[in-house]
Amino acid sequence: MTETSRRLSPWAYPLLVLAVLFFVTPVYIMFKVSFSSPGEVLTAHPTFWFKEFTLSHWKAVLASGNLNAPLLKSLLVATLTTGLALLITAPGAYVISRLPKGIRYTVVLALFFTRMFPDVGIALPIAVTFIRWNLLDTNLGLVLAHLTKVLPFISWVLVGTFETIPDDLEKAAWVDGASRLQSLTRVVLPLAAPGLAVAAMLVWLESWNEFTFALYLTLSDRTLPLQTYYYIQRGNWFQAAAYSGLLTIPVMMITLLLQRYLRSGYLSGSIKG
Amino acid sequence: MRAVLKRHWLEIALILPLVLYIFGFTLVPVTRSIALGFSSEAGGFTFEHYRALFANGQFRGALINTLAITGLGLSLQLFTGLGLALILSRTFRLRGLVRSIMLVPMGVPTIVSGVTLLYLFDSSGYLNELLFRLGLIDLPIDWASGGIRTLFMIVFADLWKVTPVVVLLMLAGLDAIPESVYEAAAVDGATGWGAFWRITLPLLKPSITMTVIVRGVDVFRIFELPLVLAGRMTPVLATFAYTEYNQYYNSHTSGAAATFLLGVILVFVVLYLLFVERERRAEV
Repeated sequence: MTETSRRLSPWAYPLLVLAVLFFVTPVYIMFKVSFSSPGEVLTAHPTFWFKEFTLSHWKAVLASGNLNAPLLKSLLVATLTTGLALLITAPGAYVISRLPKGIRYTVVLALFFTRMFPDVGIALPIAVTFIRWNLLDTNLGLVLAHLTKVLPFISWVLVGTFETIPDDLEKAAWVDGASRLQSLTRVVLPLAAPGLAVAAMLVWLESWNEFTFALYLTLSDRTLPLQTYYYIQRGNWFQAAAYSGLLTIPVMMITLLLQRYLRSGYLSGSIKG
Repeated sequence: MRAVLKRHWLEIALILPLVLYIFGFTLVPVTRSIALGFSSEAGGFTFEHYRALFANGQFRGALINTLAITGLGLSLQLFTGLGLALILSRTFRLRGLVRSIMLVPMGVPTIVSGVTLLYLFDSSGYLNELLFRLGLIDLPIDWASGGIRTLFMIVFADLWKVTPVVVLLMLAGLDAIPESVYEAAAVDGATGWGAFWRITLPLLKPSITMTVIVRGVDVFRIFELPLVLAGRMTPVLATFAYTEYNQYYNSHTSGAAATFLLGVILVFVVLYLLFVERERRAEV
């Protein structure tokens, strides 16, 4: 078939415009609310365009003194979770990637299934246990819980990375006199660095966004997502909008940065071999 | 055993932390959730929590809501996802830009998508205003009042959030269909809709099956969006389990509800093994 027949036929263009509006509008509305004067929003007929642009909600959030603690907690937990997740997962994923094909596939599938368990079923006993261990409201407790969520997912991303590194390279290093550990740190690890970087960003996002475990494990020291939820529950739309914007900016940046990696393999867990 | 240890000590040492962590922080908690659901306050074995669960109108409502959201949500997501993937698999100007814009919902935390859809679906929110300006309604619709409207609101929110993922899965399936198949079909006179029904759809079946099961699991355990959008008014299974623990301190009931949820998800897992796995093995 010629190239022209794979072109989009004109009747689909209106659908395309609708789809773009569908994807963009909610995000636009969120930022619009965070920059709008209350009169534009809290009315029976809210306006779609900016009439009165105001920075007052963002200023209020920044000046309130309620932002720093959750922001720091979210940053700290996400960063610690990322470091620990890579430390635990990278060696394990390397070993899985070197298993015989049949076994490797079964292990990856098993990892995939552990992510199918409902969070509320895992968070409940963890919360009950953490009450006894005095880990509620602590950064450590949240990091431990977030690791539960990210380890299986990040394992299969990294198994995919290590699979692409041929083991002939390691064997060549052994012939040259490297020990097994040296061949790992000097040959495999540098080659896996781009994959590790992508995995790190995905973990960081997952922890930054995480809501369910944080909800179960927090009494007073809220993370940023919990803080957003708190303002919504109190009916403070504008503060919630500003917090939402703050929460979204890093996620949006990293997602668009990583878009060429966001293929089905990562999403379905490289299940398709 | 000893020989294996000696030969593979490095591999075992490397994988041990991962295995132990998943065991200790996923498998043990899940087992404990199940145990909570089956144990009485005194510690003995009991079915009492399940009997109470099914006698509880809130729980039955949550179950029905979850089933409705899953059925309605999955069909809409498949329809939208497949349609958009078909459009995006064609060439047109600005395709790269449109593909990037499509990823926008992935760049929004789930809790935030709940918040922004609240602005849309509020009774004096932006959706009602749009419908009003289009002349479709005179009086605002109260989307959060419960019933089918609230379910629709949750389905719409989930649709918005996950359509990119579904589109990406479908695009991967479409890309895997070789151009030569269409060329051969065109020689035999199958083009346009004919080619879609006879070639694209059958060849896309593995991708569709996988999407249905993976997404099915996610919709069935949906938590954040119904919590933010509907609260306790319209419970689903996961928010029911949360409320039982958080508001009423009934960790046994919460455990039983979570176990029920887990049981249904296991059914999806078995379906996955039966349909996706078997076909994959047949291909190899």
